Amino acid sequence: MTRKQTPLRPYFEKMPDIGKPLSEAEARRTNENVGLIREQEQIIAAEIERVRKAGIPAENIHKRGGMTIYDRLEYLVDAGTWRPLHSLYDPQGNEEGCTGVVDGLGKIQGRWAVIIGFDNKVMAGAWIAGQAENILMVTDLAKRLHVPLVWITNCSGVKLMEQESVYAGRRSNGAPFFRHAELNQLGIPILNAIYGTNPAGGGYQGISPTILLAHEGANIAVGGAGIVGGMNPKGQFDAEGARALIEATRNFKAKDPGRAETHFDQTAYFREVHETEKGVLDGIKDYLRMMPAYDPVMFRVAAPAEPKYPAEDLNRILPANQKRPYDAVQFLARLTDASEFMEYRPDYGREVFTGIAKIDGFPVAFIGNRQGVFPDYPEYAKGAYPGVGGKHYRQGLIKQGAFVTLCGRDNLPIVWLQDTTGIDVGDLAEEAELLALGQSLVYSIEQTELAMMCVVLRKGTAAAHYIMCGPQANANNAFTLGTPLTEIYVMHGETAAAASYARRLVKEDEAGRDIAPVLEKMNQMIRDYQEKSRPVYCAQKGFVDEIVCLTELRNYIKAFAGANYQNPRSITPVHQLLLPRIIKG
Amino acid sequence: MSTEVTAPMSGSIFKLLVKVGDQVKLEDELLVLEAMKMENPVYAPVDGKIAEIKVSEGTKVQANQVLIVIE
Repeated sequence: MTRKQTPLRPYFEKMPDIGKPLSEAEARRTNENVGLIREQEQIIAAEIERVRKAGIPAENIHKRGGMTIYDRLEYLVDAGTWRPLHSLYDPQGNEEGCTGVVDGLGKIQGRWAVIIGFDNKVMAGAWIAGQAENILMVTDLAKRLHVPLVWITNCSGVKLMEQESVYAGRRSNGAPFFRHAELNQLGIPILNAIYGTNPAGGGYQGISPTILLAHEGANIAVGGAGIVGGMNPKGQFDAEGARALIEATRNFKAKDPGRAETHFDQTAYFREVHETEKGVLDGIKDYLRMMPAYDPVMFRVAAPAEPKYPAEDLNRILPANQKRPYDAVQFLARLTDASEFMEYRPDYGREVFTGIAKIDGFPVAFIGNRQGVFPDYPEYAKGAYPGVGGKHYRQGLIKQGAFVTLCGRDNLPIVWLQDTTGIDVGDLAEEAELLALGQSLVYSIEQTELAMMCVVLRKGTAAAHYIMCGPQANANNAFTLGTPLTEIYVMHGETAAAASYARRLVKEDEAGRDIAPVLEKMNQMIRDYQEKSRPVYCAQKGFVDEIVCLTELRNYIKAFAGANYQNPRSITPVHQLLLPRIIKG
Repeated sequence: MSTEVTAPMSGSIFKLLVKVGDQVKLEDELLVLEAMKMENPVYAPVDGKIAEIKVSEGTKVQANQVLIVIE
């Protein structure tokens, strides 16, 4: 008789239970919290809707029989798997209200891919400010997760009125072509669905991927046919020059170069040309089926299972009031399969939890801040002050560094749940080596080849935001999520105002002058900090890759885990994992 | 029979949410204790009526100090 099972069953089939149902009283007294989170969700949703409406109305494209980028994504991506990223990213505050590209993680024909397309409603997919950085984040994501990159190209090239903000520089719109080359070198395929007119930058956008499929009306070319005037010998336009330009434009009949007649029939760059827009996407789907992807059974350690407790509880567990503590393990219990968690060193470094959980049946490591007050801790400050959740102390930093190192050895992807106010400060903290231990954690992260994702649940503050694998961990951080309660800043606005103006207050006071003007500046600074740390601001500036509802977090973690295990560059045989044995002892 | 509600840690009373005579249910929030810049809620350990409040807003308290009596 044939017998089958998941590997290391005694460790993974049933892991320790965590969490408990919310009590009636907890449900009763958290209704206001739910309302506050809903308010933020509505603000974020309105911003996302604004971005979706950027450029010309979708109806204009529909009237001429075309599809918008959102139509194309909906047709291409498997239902229910789209996890958008960078929806609000617009660091320069463009007049278009976006960076002109739409991207995210999604499944195509059952395989995870990083997918990005030009918003053809916005200047026919022009290069605009912030777009290059957006694209680089996306190519980096494909690199870290080692999954195919799918482009939906429809790129008119540089927005000529603002060329200085897109064309030149180390991380300008030319850099993605080198990233495409790098992905190809690493064995990561790039599929390209090409639509519309793609001259110059659009041409390289068209040619640089691995597999090129085109719509019959598409072209890719070194330059467009639209530059009809050429150089004006006068160095400026006058009425005579304008008249000549008008005539030349009226009589301009040339077709765009690099059409299917050339790049399918002659050069054969295009592998397929399709009559319909959907046909191109069908071609992409066909190619996705050819992409390397292990069956999830290869890496699963148990059958997938939903958490025991409802995701909606998360809106009751995480307090909108940033000064309120909460039970971080209750939060975790709404994310992990079957609400189970195998914790590493629970009695050591108690301000953070570290351990292994299952996500969709895959083993995934979690690290997060605990909240509350810890009497008689940290050990180096006993009698001086108690520990407080969200802060990092000596034991917690040592524990995190060791855990990350072991995860690296075991090839366990890590999800970081940040809600941190910083690393302990003062002479005792310096004597306890916290400065070096913080950097040691950075070194531990960098030393691994792991993909990691970070969620800033509420606060991402000071260097603690960095050391807990914030987006600054360029080589490992796949993406960072914010929530409706996220605040990211170097320190709280009140602390910053005090630090900036304390001496000035003393000076004014000693001189017998009115301190009211200084107070106004301090309060303005606090308001400014509040404004520039809110979720929408964080998303627009790229402090996070997306703001998601708490109830959506598990879906993103599932996408991260599934993509990570789809075609990993390195494998640790499950029966050879070390961490579960260390935890068990 | 009365039940004493004590401070779980040292700190100062940030907000009192009940008054003498109020009926409270198990786990209702009675007050907020500020410690280490955190607002720590203190909940009713039993159903009952607030018989006595031994602190006011701003009072500094020690760990295990009796704050409220419920009967």
